[in-house]
Amino acid sequence: MVEYIQVQKAFDAPVLSGVNLRVESGETMSVVGHSGTGKSVLLKTTIGLITPDYGDIRLHGLSVFHSDRRTIARIRRKAGYVFQNAALFDSMTVFENVSQGLPEDQLRKMRFREVLKRVAESLDLVNLEPRSVLSKLPAELSGGMRKRVGLARAIVGRPEILLYDEPVTGLDPVNAAIVHQLIARLGRELGVTSILVTHDIEGALPISDRVAMLDRGRIRFEGTPQEFRDSDDKLVRAFLERDTMTPSDTILEAV
Amino acid sequence: MQVELEVGPEVRATTGGHAARLPDSFHVRWLGSLGRRAEGLARHAGQIATIFWKSLIALLRGQVSMRATVREMYSMGVQSLPIVLVTGVLSGVVTSQQGGYQFTGSVPLYVVGSVVVSSIILELGPILTAIVFIGRVGARITAELGTMKVSEQIDALQSLGRDPIRTLGAPRIIAGTLVLPILVGIADLIGIVGGMLTAEATIGLGREAFLYGARMFFHTFDLYYSVGKGMVFGFIIPLIAVHMGLRTYGGAEGVGRATTASVVYMILAVLIFDATFPMIFLR
Repeated sequence: MVEYIQVQKAFDAPVLSGVNLRVESGETMSVVGHSGTGKSVLLKTTIGLITPDYGDIRLHGLSVFHSDRRTIARIRRKAGYVFQNAALFDSMTVFENVSQGLPEDQLRKMRFREVLKRVAESLDLVNLEPRSVLSKLPAELSGGMRKRVGLARAIVGRPEILLYDEPVTGLDPVNAAIVHQLIARLGRELGVTSILVTHDIEGALPISDRVAMLDRGRIRFEGTPQEFRDSDDKLVRAFLERDTMTPSDTILEAV
Repeated sequence: MQVELEVGPEVRATTGGHAARLPDSFHVRWLGSLGRRAEGLARHAGQIATIFWKSLIALLRGQVSMRATVREMYSMGVQSLPIVLVTGVLSGVVTSQQGGYQFTGSVPLYVVGSVVVSSIILELGPILTAIVFIGRVGARITAELGTMKVSEQIDALQSLGRDPIRTLGAPRIIAGTLVLPILVGIADLIGIVGGMLTAEATIGLGREAFLYGARMFFHTFDLYYSVGKGMVFGFIIPLIAVHMGLRTYGGAEGVGRATTASVVYMILAVLIFDATFPMIFLR
């Protein structure tokens, strides 16, 4: 379970203004909202990549911000993070990139064959043919493949929580659908808790158990996908209409 | 910077709910600017000290990747060799020619050997090699880590439970500290040989006479001094480069900005340390 308690963060201006949210174990939660509402900041605070000014986040009861370095390392080991642009290490091959997802102490003790097996399994899970990509550098892969390698790196350590930061941004509809299917499949097959930050509401709703909408640093809406679709909230409506390609100024009006 | 006054609700009402603001005075602006600069400097110093401390701890605990360190040593050392050789030879050639020009007809020419060897070993070898090292290695480290920072690769590393300083910083700092003294030694040697051959070709000073002059004022300590300078420069250059790389922000423009600032800081640091060396060791 992931629990956000009164999370506040400001850079030049407030970004998160007291976020309270609870994501149950095994649940897939989509966090939506327009640009600049603090979705990615919220996701980064989850594993301590950004420290909030106030509040706390608890992962399976462990406090992210009131723990020593070892506990934070344990927390990070429980989580897999999929970055917006995959954030693969440029100078490393796909094999090296994915193997970095294994805990360091484990990696040191493992034989090369075991590492190779784990990496190949993860690549297989994200629908990539291990033999054809293992020795490639990130620059030699397409955008969709890079995202999937990023996903493989996040799951190779068998995390309990998966955090996705805009996983389909920049992908064509076909690749976006593939990634969404993968997220759903990983949630089902690995039984992980998933938090998905996205703009792509139509793609995210079918694979989510619950949806939360961030607005001006606060949770404006929280409910099931059906409740989200049926909501009378102006901003929710604006989002849904925009997503179904209705030309509108409603977002600006609602904001 | 503006001064915000605590005011009552009636004043807030007349100012649209905001606290009343007074116009900046010169002194307030000056103090504010001074404070910001001091804070920035303290922040840099603190972050550099943290990188040094974490790298040291990682080294003592045997947590620094040997493979990464050797790869960095190859990149910093072997691949820098051609430019270091060229710089070394040219420094010898120039010093020898200048010495020949100044001493012809005034003092015995074998003094050229002494001038060339002393100036190369004590000053030119270490400083020129360090400047070349800044351009070739320091700038690369900042640009490389800066790019990793703005493309979230550093965040990715942290999310995977790796410490960026231990994984990326420490191997570079250790490699620099080990490699630069060797490069300085090579630059010293090749500079002296270049100076000797130039003296022979330009002012007809024989090798024996050159070496006689060189031995006259030579102390073995000078060699340690030269290599020691190389070691200190080899430590501070990657230290600053790593620090500047890891604090990069703002996309491609930010990487350019960080790299430029890093090169300036590295040159300044090297020159400052170079100036303090004689005060400590040559008294």
